[in-house]
Amino acid sequence: MKRIVLLVATAVLSLTAWADEVVFQCNAPAQVIVGKPFQLTYSVNQRARDLQAPPFDGFDLLAGPYSSQSSSTSFINGKRTSSFTLTYTYTLMAQREGSFTIPPASVVVNHNSVSSNGVRITVLPADEQAQPASTGGRQSSDDSRPQQQASGSNINSENIFVRTIVSRTQVCEQEALLLTYKLYFAGVDVTQLTNNTKLPEFKGFLKQDLEQGEIQTQLEHYNGRNYNTAVLYQTVLYPQHSGDIRIEPANFEAVIRVQTRAQVRSIFDDFFGSYTNVTRALTAPAATIHVQPLPAGKPAGFSGAVGQFTMTPSISQTELKANDAVTLKLVIRGNGNMKLIKTPAVDWPEGFEEYDPKVTNDFKTTVNGVSGTKTIEYLVIPRAGGDYTIPPVQFSWFDTDERKYKTLASPEYTIHVQRAAGEENQGQVTNYVGKEAIKQLGTDIRYIYTGPLQAHTARPVLPGNSMWILLLLYLVPALIAALLFIIFRKQIRENADLARVRYKRANKVAQKRLRLAKKLMQEHQDAAFYEEIERAALSYLGDRLAIPTADLSKQNIEGMLRDKGVTEELINEVTDLLSTAEFARYAPTSGQTPDTLYQRTVTLIDKLEDQRI
Amino acid sequence: MKPLLSFILMLTLAVSAAHAQTPFEQANTLYANGQYAEAAEAYRAILADTPDADVYYNLGNAAFRQGELAQAILAYERALRLNPAHKDARYNLEFAQQRIIDNIEDNRSFFLSQWAEGLRNSLHERTWIYLSLGLFWLMLVCALLFAFGRSAALRKSAFFIALTALLISVAALCNAASLHHRDTARAEAVITQGVVNAKASPDRSGTDLFTLHEGTEVTILETLGEWCNIRVGNNIGWIQLTNLERI
Repeated sequence: MKRIVLLVATAVLSLTAWADEVVFQCNAPAQVIVGKPFQLTYSVNQRARDLQAPPFDGFDLLAGPYSSQSSSTSFINGKRTSSFTLTYTYTLMAQREGSFTIPPASVVVNHNSVSSNGVRITVLPADEQAQPASTGGRQSSDDSRPQQQASGSNINSENIFVRTIVSRTQVCEQEALLLTYKLYFAGVDVTQLTNNTKLPEFKGFLKQDLEQGEIQTQLEHYNGRNYNTAVLYQTVLYPQHSGDIRIEPANFEAVIRVQTRAQVRSIFDDFFGSYTNVTRALTAPAATIHVQPLPAGKPAGFSGAVGQFTMTPSISQTELKANDAVTLKLVIRGNGNMKLIKTPAVDWPEGFEEYDPKVTNDFKTTVNGVSGTKTIEYLVIPRAGGDYTIPPVQFSWFDTDERKYKTLASPEYTIHVQRAAGEENQGQVTNYVGKEAIKQLGTDIRYIYTGPLQAHTARPVLPGNSMWILLLLYLVPALIAALLFIIFRKQIRENADLARVRYKRANKVAQKRLRLAKKLMQEHQDAAFYEEIERAALSYLGDRLAIPTADLSKQNIEGMLRDKGVTEELINEVTDLLSTAEFARYAPTSGQTPDTLYQRTVTLIDKLEDQRI
Repeated sequence: MKPLLSFILMLTLAVSAAHAQTPFEQANTLYANGQYAEAAEAYRAILADTPDADVYYNLGNAAFRQGELAQAILAYERALRLNPAHKDARYNLEFAQQRIIDNIEDNRSFFLSQWAEGLRNSLHERTWIYLSLGLFWLMLVCALLFAFGRSAALRKSAFFIALTALLISVAALCNAASLHHRDTARAEAVITQGVVNAKASPDRSGTDLFTLHEGTEVTILETLGEWCNIRVGNNIGWIQLTNLERI
């Protein structure tokens, strides 16, 4: 039971699927010639009725509609396929040249009205039959190769040739132009092209070939004649330098079927006609392109992109941790010499580790040039925390429509980078810091001085008549020094004289003091006596040794005596005497009697006098 | 109404702020805003009244930013004449001089004399005179000490100090005199013309001897009418006075 249901279901499904696909098509040649009949067909793949043909404005209806139907059934691998076609044919003739649209027709299929497609027909003017007289002459001059010229055939450069069609001859550097080699033939039967095709080198151009499908012929009115045309080769060219660039001729070879009528060997030949294939070399003429240089005033970021572009910048993240990757993505979309777009340079902040940008190209070559997208992905890894600013990335190109340079810039991205997890202190202290010398990034002049002015002005070096003042500043101290020198010298000399006087008078003064001491001794004034004795000895030594009274001391005297070369015995005697006198002065009850002290002093002075200190 | 009021308020504030600024600060603001030509004008106006080292230095920066290399070098040189200790001016002068096209090979002067010239230029004329005077006075004191010193050691050291002080004092005075001569003669000049050919004679038809470029410093040996005889390194030639400007 279940199986039957399934079977029925599949049958119904397949039936409905088949029934749904109603294809109702209108077919007509795209180009027709005035005064030449042509056929327009409507075909439908199901049984239909009530064809409502549109009015054929601009065309004469010569015949039709003739309906015909065909059906076929085939089994392939046990699977049945059946097809059915119902065709209505009209024979029409164009009345005048121009472009015409035939609106859709309608037909009734299974009680439903179905519309066909509309058709657009270009009507070409009729051939101007004026040239045949001159064809012979041209043929002989153009034919470079002996031809198997069959009688009745008319293979010449009027009937078959290749044109070089450039979309424009005045272009800017890097501006796209389309080059087409198109075969024109009329009245000859071209069966195929040999492989013997020689294309020029296109020196000075960047070449981008168009995808070439199956060669299709089209009718085209050219130089007053209607030709069948076929595009042989099509390429988009980008001039790489300015000036006149010549495109060398291209060579093609076509195989033409020619009916031979020379010998009729059998009745079948005559009936079917006999044909031979003839090859003919075809040369597409050279072309010259005038290439203008790009105007002056190229922006800084210009790297040769010409065309129409848009740029979509994006950034993967602006809040991240150190050592995480950031991707800056630029999508350049447009039409132009996409292949030559250089990757714009990004001025990454210091501390960003940058990798080579990844570039993805998605280009398509059309008759308008190369279009598509170029995706540039910059991958960087910030290595340290902080706030960084990525300066705008600039992409400049030359706009071929507006004839001026344009610049697109990405926004300025600010990235906040947190310190990496490892960077924070986690209980342990590391002393290691990767020290780096200050990196010199560039040189420039130092900035202007902005502080208050410090009056480094052009004031005179010295006030007034500087030369005289300067001279005085040298001379006056010199004079003062000279004066001081003289004064000091005089004083020294005077001091020296005083010492001599004291030296001479030393003994006399000492004797005088000793006499006074004797007198005091006799009067038993002991204290005064000892004082006088000590003073006598001291003043004598002071005068003799030229020691100022203020500097008189035992040590001084001892040193000076030693300097003078007095014997140690005598020095001891002097110091002993001096200390005894001093002692007795404050403690008169000591052992020395005034009388012996007096005698010792007298003898000591005599001895010193003998020494001639 | 409200935006208008606030606008007027802002305007008055801006005007009062502008009034509060000294001409020097105004010029600095222009420079900071990138209006280098206007800033240079303002600095020149200040310098017309009082030549000052810092103003000359800023003028040099403004000229440099405009690409006027010769004017920048002139201004830096003048700043250094007024204040030889201006480190920034010296740095920027050297920086600007690296951009001059002419590379003067001066093998005329021995390295010692180059060093001496550098030493001379490192101090102001005034400083040299003060140094000379101070050392001279020190010399006098030491001479007196030498004459009347009590101990032999004192007299000995006083003698040497006096001798050294005298020598340095004389040298400093020579430097001062040399600087004074330089500043009064104003024989040093900077080429202001982009490219100029030095001739063999003070005449347009004279033979071209060598080519000089903007910013090169030359020494004027003599002048004759519109022409002056200049020396650059080992080269001597005549150029027109309009092609250079004295420092």
